Amino acid sequence: MALPEVSEHLEVKYGLPRQVKFCTRCVISNQRPNSTVEYRHTSESKKQTIHFDAEGVCDACRFAERKRTGIDWAERERQLIELCDRYRRHDGAYDCLLPGSGGKDSFYAAHVLKHKYGMHPLTVTWAPHIYTDWGWRNHRAWVHAGFDNYLCTPNGRVHRLLTRLAVEKLFHPFQPFIFGQKALAPKMALLFDLPLVFYGENEAEYGNPLSDTQTALRGESYYSATAIPDLHLGGTSVRQLEADYGLDRNDLQPYLPANPEALSERGVQVHYLGHYLRWHPQSCYYYAVEHGGFQASPERTSGTYSKYNSIDDRIDDFHYWTTYIKFGIGRATYDASQEIRSGDITREEGVALVRRFDGEWPERFAQEIFDYLSLPEKEFPVASQRFERPLMTLDSFLELADGFRSPHLWRRDADGWTLRHRVWDEPAAGR
Amino acid sequence: MITRVIPRLDVKGPNLVKGVHLEGLRVLGKPEMFARHYYQQGADELLFVDVVASLYGRNSILDLVERTANEIFIPLSVGGGLRSLDDIRAVLRAGADKVTLNTAAVRRPEFISEAARHFGSSTIVISIEAIRRNDGGYEAYTDNGREKTGLDAVSWAVQAVELGAGELLVTSIDREGTGRGYDLELTERIVRAVPVPVIACGGAGSVEHVAQVLETGAAAAALASLLHYNVARRSRAEPSEFSPHINLAHLDQPGFAKVQDAELPELKAHLAARGMASRPLPAHV
Amino acid sequence: MSELPPPRAAIVDYGTGNLYNVSRACQHVGLEAAITTSPEEVLSADAVILPGVGSMPEAMRSLEQNGLSDALKTVAGRGTPLLGICLGMQLLMEEGSEFTRHAGLGILPGSVARFPDKGTDGAELKVPHIGWNAVGRPPGSSGAWRDTPLEATPDGEYMYFVHSYHVVPANTESVVGVSRYGGIEFCSVVSAGAVFGCQFHPERSGSQGLRIYREFSRLLVSRQHSSF
Repeated sequence: MALPEVSEHLEVKYGLPRQVKFCTRCVISNQRPNSTVEYRHTSESKKQTIHFDAEGVCDACRFAERKRTGIDWAERERQLIELCDRYRRHDGAYDCLLPGSGGKDSFYAAHVLKHKYGMHPLTVTWAPHIYTDWGWRNHRAWVHAGFDNYLCTPNGRVHRLLTRLAVEKLFHPFQPFIFGQKALAPKMALLFDLPLVFYGENEAEYGNPLSDTQTALRGESYYSATAIPDLHLGGTSVRQLEADYGLDRNDLQPYLPANPEALSERGVQVHYLGHYLRWHPQSCYYYAVEHGGFQASPERTSGTYSKYNSIDDRIDDFHYWTTYIKFGIGRATYDASQEIRSGDITREEGVALVRRFDGEWPERFAQEIFDYLSLPEKEFPVASQRFERPLMTLDSFLELADGFRSPHLWRRDADGWTLRHRVWDEPAAGR
Repeated sequence: MITRVIPRLDVKGPNLVKGVHLEGLRVLGKPEMFARHYYQQGADELLFVDVVASLYGRNSILDLVERTANEIFIPLSVGGGLRSLDDIRAVLRAGADKVTLNTAAVRRPEFISEAARHFGSSTIVISIEAIRRNDGGYEAYTDNGREKTGLDAVSWAVQAVELGAGELLVTSIDREGTGRGYDLELTERIVRAVPVPVIACGGAGSVEHVAQVLETGAAAAALASLLHYNVARRSRAEPSEFSPHINLAHLDQPGFAKVQDAELPELKAHLAARGMASRPLPAHV
Repeated sequence: MSELPPPRAAIVDYGTGNLYNVSRACQHVGLEAAITTSPEEVLSADAVILPGVGSMPEAMRSLEQNGLSDALKTVAGRGTPLLGICLGMQLLMEEGSEFTRHAGLGILPGSVARFPDKGTDGAELKVPHIGWNAVGRPPGSSGAWRDTPLEATPDGEYMYFVHSYHVVPANTESVVGVSRYGGIEFCSVVSAGAVFGCQFHPERSGSQGLRIYREFSRLLVSRQHSSF
């Protein structure tokens, strides 16, 4: 077994921890970044990463532990009921807003809010970059199971350009989706006069600082901001986007945050159902199949074993491949870690799954994604000029990828690229 | 008409598991307990599938097979990750009468002939797990429903039999675990296409579903959810029998709305009333 | 009466099939049985069990190569109880299928035939015949199972079958059990002297099948006692 490589001479990108460690309970590594404030995300940004305690256990596992034993769920549910009682409308109007994709979690959330807690949710969806067939089918099934829904699809040209920029500068294809998803709900809340907004789980479930989970409200810094020209989309300032990339302020509307003053004036509050109800993704799967005809994808998602986690966007495969490149963490690691914490699989199985699937090249939609990321002059007369190679190919993509590999994580040899630290090389942690 | 009812036990390590669309596997209990129960209740055969064999590259199911064979004297079929003649030999030695092959057969179809020559055609069951395509055809999958093959399920069935398979196990991944009934069309197409017995699997949610699929000409029906949830509820294993941290919360109310729990005797009586005889209930064991 | 050592059966291993389950069934009913490839052990056993799964020509080749076919013929010739199961029963016959003309052990006169593709009603017949099926005494033969391993078995009991071929004994008196598949009646049990064969697998037929092993064992013991 190779000795751990902690050479001080290796460059460490993104402000990641130099030494790579794996959680002794799940399979996540200490390189996992916490949620960023994307509006300030540039190529210079340094990442905050998941915290491991003195026993080598990550925050997400500690949170899972607390979920199992340290939380009075009856009391939490009482709080939810109280909250619902306060906002419930009896005059036929909607009384809460539920952003969701039609995936298993939103199925559960919408159904339980409506049928168990007697609310009248209006659901709202921020469209994926490119729908998968089964993602679209599940979205329809969700709506037809009995929920009103507004589907917001952004201007495809703008979305593609921002995605390409995000890939070039940050190697982060999912970023435009994240902007839209976070911005949509508060704006819809204002538009429909629905101050109560429910999300599903709390991101802290997956490793954002433990303190985040203490309150049900989503951190304000994630969705409000004031000085728009200095906001960064795709690692590029709005000012520059408007000056150099042929975009105007209207093009960027869906990605800009809601006016924080308007939000506070109307008293818009964002709550996590996961704070009040004990969340178990696998149970959401069963619930969604049972109550809404949710169908798992007929094919395994690239880079993992799962067929029902986040399956509606074709760019998803690439998103997880980029996290593998930047942080050494692929889709299987995320999925397995979550399932280990929920008690659905053992760490041993998780390690075997990571070894088998993590970092798998996302072949199935590759060409479609390269076409999506390409900026032909006819469609992007201004923006295409800003790129050395406006059209994306496999080669240009792989070359770009190499620039994002941190030397402290990746070694290059005759066979290609290998991770220096792999969870299956570590001595098995007692569990 | 004579038929067979075959409980299917998916096994992960020491546990019996059950999912939907072969996904989201949940622990329901100890396979030995389920096997014994079904034997006593008149099961015609038992089918064990090791769902992590190809993941770990090893067969940990041998112990279970051996222990089962020591007290259960009905045919036992075993599958999951069997890749070589040695793997098959080991499983037969442990007590299996038949083996089911999927991934290994798809990767190297000649393996079917080799295995049939060595162990007899009737020992070799080819397992076909299929998903309906948009064009109405069915595609075969391997690795416990995870990998596409590009193979048309019906053509593959014909080929497998030509290569020496003595029996086919046909599972609808679309229906599996949902309780919505077997995929009758998939079953019938394969039954019509091959001269060997076909075991239908995937989707039974009521005793009537089982009768329906047998009427398509399937020689036997395999089922899991229809029976397992009932057993899990009635004979809840001690939490201490499971490794710590394994989630057992669903056992408090095991089940699935569309699956109308049934017991073997009731199922067999229903079939008998429809003219389908099977192994009579044992008077004593 | 003096204490006799319990009877020992030899389970013939010629490279095929369900030996271990046969062995487990014997163990379960208290019959001492050892799996062996050795002709000497076959010759010195108190009883011989010939199991089998697979193809007759290959099985015969294997028996011949290992000197077992002679041992078996000798065993049958001198009246040692011989139990043939499934393919093992088919091997007892003189010759194989009329199409392949492979010789069997020739211990019993008769041949082996394959199930046709259609039953008597014209419907497709799936081959192999796999499943539980009733085993009955031929009409007018109410005593046929006495002093055989089927002695304690009720007429029409279900047993587990898996086979593509069935035996056609020349001597109809040796046909003591019949079954039906696709409307076709075939011989499922033969008995002639100390030779007994069943087409089904008693070690896979639940308690009904174990009963057969138990009777076989009991017959061996009483045979042992009666020869002293």
